[in-house]
Amino acid sequence: MAVVSARPPGSRPRRRGRWTPYALIAPSVIAMLGFLVYPMGSVIYYSLQHYNVTKPWDNGFAGLENFARLLFDDPIFWQSLGFSLKWVVVQVVLQFLLGLALALIVNESFVGRAISRALVFSPWAVSGVLTTAIWVLLYNPFTGISRYLADLGLMDYGAAPLANPGTVFWAAVVAELWRGVPFFAILLLADLQSVSKDLYEAAAVDGAGRTRRFFHITLPHLRDAIILSTLLRSVWEFNNVDLLYTLTGGGPAHQTTTLPLYVAALAAQSHDFGYATALTTVAFLILTFFSIAYLRLSKFGVKA
Amino acid sequence: MRRHGPMAAVVLAAAVLAGCGSDAGSGGKTEITFWDTNAGPARTPVWQHAIAEFEKANPTIKVNYVGVPIAQSAQKIDTAIAGGGVPDVADVSTSGLANLVAQKALEPVDERIARNPALNGKFNEALLTTVKNVVPDGKMYIYPTSTNAGAFWYRKDWFKDAGLEPPKTWSEFFATVDKLTKPGENRFGFTIRGGSGSIAQMLEVVYGQSGVTEFFDAAGKATLNDPRNVTALEKYAGLYKKNTPEGDLQNDYVKMVAQFDTAGSIAIMQHNLGSYQDHMKALGPGKVASFSVPRSDSGTQSVLSNPVGGVGVFSAGENKEAAFKLAEFFASKDMDGYISKETGVIPANTDVTDKMPDHIVEAQRVLNDPATKVVQMPYHLPEFNEITKTWAEPQFQKVLLGQLSAKDFLDQFAAKLTEAQAGYKQRNGGS
Repeated sequence: MAVVSARPPGSRPRRRGRWTPYALIAPSVIAMLGFLVYPMGSVIYYSLQHYNVTKPWDNGFAGLENFARLLFDDPIFWQSLGFSLKWVVVQVVLQFLLGLALALIVNESFVGRAISRALVFSPWAVSGVLTTAIWVLLYNPFTGISRYLADLGLMDYGAAPLANPGTVFWAAVVAELWRGVPFFAILLLADLQSVSKDLYEAAAVDGAGRTRRFFHITLPHLRDAIILSTLLRSVWEFNNVDLLYTLTGGGPAHQTTTLPLYVAALAAQSHDFGYATALTTVAFLILTFFSIAYLRLSKFGVKA
Repeated sequence: MRRHGPMAAVVLAAAVLAGCGSDAGSGGKTEITFWDTNAGPARTPVWQHAIAEFEKANPTIKVNYVGVPIAQSAQKIDTAIAGGGVPDVADVSTSGLANLVAQKALEPVDERIARNPALNGKFNEALLTTVKNVVPDGKMYIYPTSTNAGAFWYRKDWFKDAGLEPPKTWSEFFATVDKLTKPGENRFGFTIRGGSGSIAQMLEVVYGQSGVTEFFDAAGKATLNDPRNVTALEKYAGLYKKNTPEGDLQNDYVKMVAQFDTAGSIAIMQHNLGSYQDHMKALGPGKVASFSVPRSDSGTQSVLSNPVGGVGVFSAGENKEAAFKLAEFFASKDMDGYISKETGVIPANTDVTDKMPDHIVEAQRVLNDPATKVVQMPYHLPEFNEITKTWAEPQFQKVLLGQLSAKDFLDQFAAKLTEAQAGYKQRNGGS
């Protein structure tokens, strides 16, 4: 078969065409090298070093010493990892359940739905530090809720939910829920609106009640959105620093110290960057394996 | 047009690079940057005024003021040293000096001082000793400008109503705190700093009560777990929730001062001279005054060495001559007097003759009293900040909560400092 060239006779080959695809993807490749590969490589490099700016005489290659220290010689690592897992489970489960409930409510037709939706979503628009400032004031023993309860004789003056080991966890959980629930509500509401009304009408004709319609139509439809949103939120909550740092500083007595908060303290206060990056590497590995396992086990994207 | 492209790019790059240099800034002036590492509404206007005076006296130099809150200052300076972008000049205290010198970030200033008749021999000798002792080579890396002193701020009006005088001994102190505590009326006799920055204040109360006068004994062993210190800590921790609000467990300076100044629920707040302006603005001189660290019941007046504040010139700065000029201006008699008076601290320049407020005069009396024993805090140990902030602060919270005994806490604390001191001696040729 004869090959017909589109190139006019005598003209030079279009060399530019061969490089065009590379040129087009070059910005993305450079960005990934600069913002992903280099920082990750740098973290792994420093995790194998003793690197503390206040003790330069000790700096140098450490091999796996930093990892041995965190595994066998650092109770705070295990405590903060355990707290991180507890924090993620409680936050993601409660945020999801409350977010789903709110999404179902504001998906219904009723008077004032628009303003209700705006109110439900508004905490998501507030920055993390501002959210914390609001809750710090609410929990303040002299300006917050406990002061007014004490005026009514229902509490002792000076009581502070964030300083009491029995209440600090749930006080922090409530503050984070206020910010996190709208995330699920927004995502799930967006997916709810794509469910065909015909399905509900057909089910109603067949005699299915609200509960059956929810479990057999709504929930299966939301499956992928739920998997993705819970995964994203789990990673974000594991890495939560801003709210807990400002609200409790990880205290009292390490009771609300997550692994990233511990890393931040080691880097910012102790200047022990080598050990802090070893902890970061471990956190990265945990999140990577969790994400892969979660997506595999939940069969994300696979049609039921 | 196309042929002119490379030439235009070179010209443009040259213009941009020329603009980046700080030698000839706006209007041909030399530009330098000053970092105020304890910026806030009380101190920032003072530094800005001092800079304006400097610029008036040195019209060819422009100083860019950058205010950094104290909680972030150490981190920001470390980041700048590691990544570039250090200031030309910054106010640096001896509490962070060892760290900066270990990173070779500051210029020594001994020779500059020796050559300057306005400064040579004009600094308080005790402060010079502190500045030299925190670094291994014994050189001066800051121009000293001030020092601080522990102060107990109290509600004058409450004391008057209760017919009480400021306590002179620790026994009187604890009795006074008890008398002023009325939880049912939202009044507490004392506020403990249980959160960030708690350790220095705790040590001041512990050594003040015990009368122990050295931080390390002759063998280099930390005296923290001396039985007298253990008893003193038990008594101090016993105030928590009995005479203080529960929220004190998480108290940093901001929360503590808000309880004292704004909420008006606290009779006595332990801090230092530096919070003078905050108290005056919130409560006024009619309601608040200070007393010095009480004496131990055996009669010893033990106070902790407070960090010496000063001004340092960074080695990586491009305009060192202008930077030295600025630092020397801040340390000069007139400016040191002005800054110290306005920020409520003790001036380092002995030529300062300004009339100081009562709380500074009282602090100077205690410091200059030959009977006063100054316990030297180990700011020379590079690990000191790590041990006190990362390790000791959460452990102290456990002591307040009753989850850890005072003895176990001080035993572990002393062991860490003893080990750090041994390492320091070994590195610097000590025995």
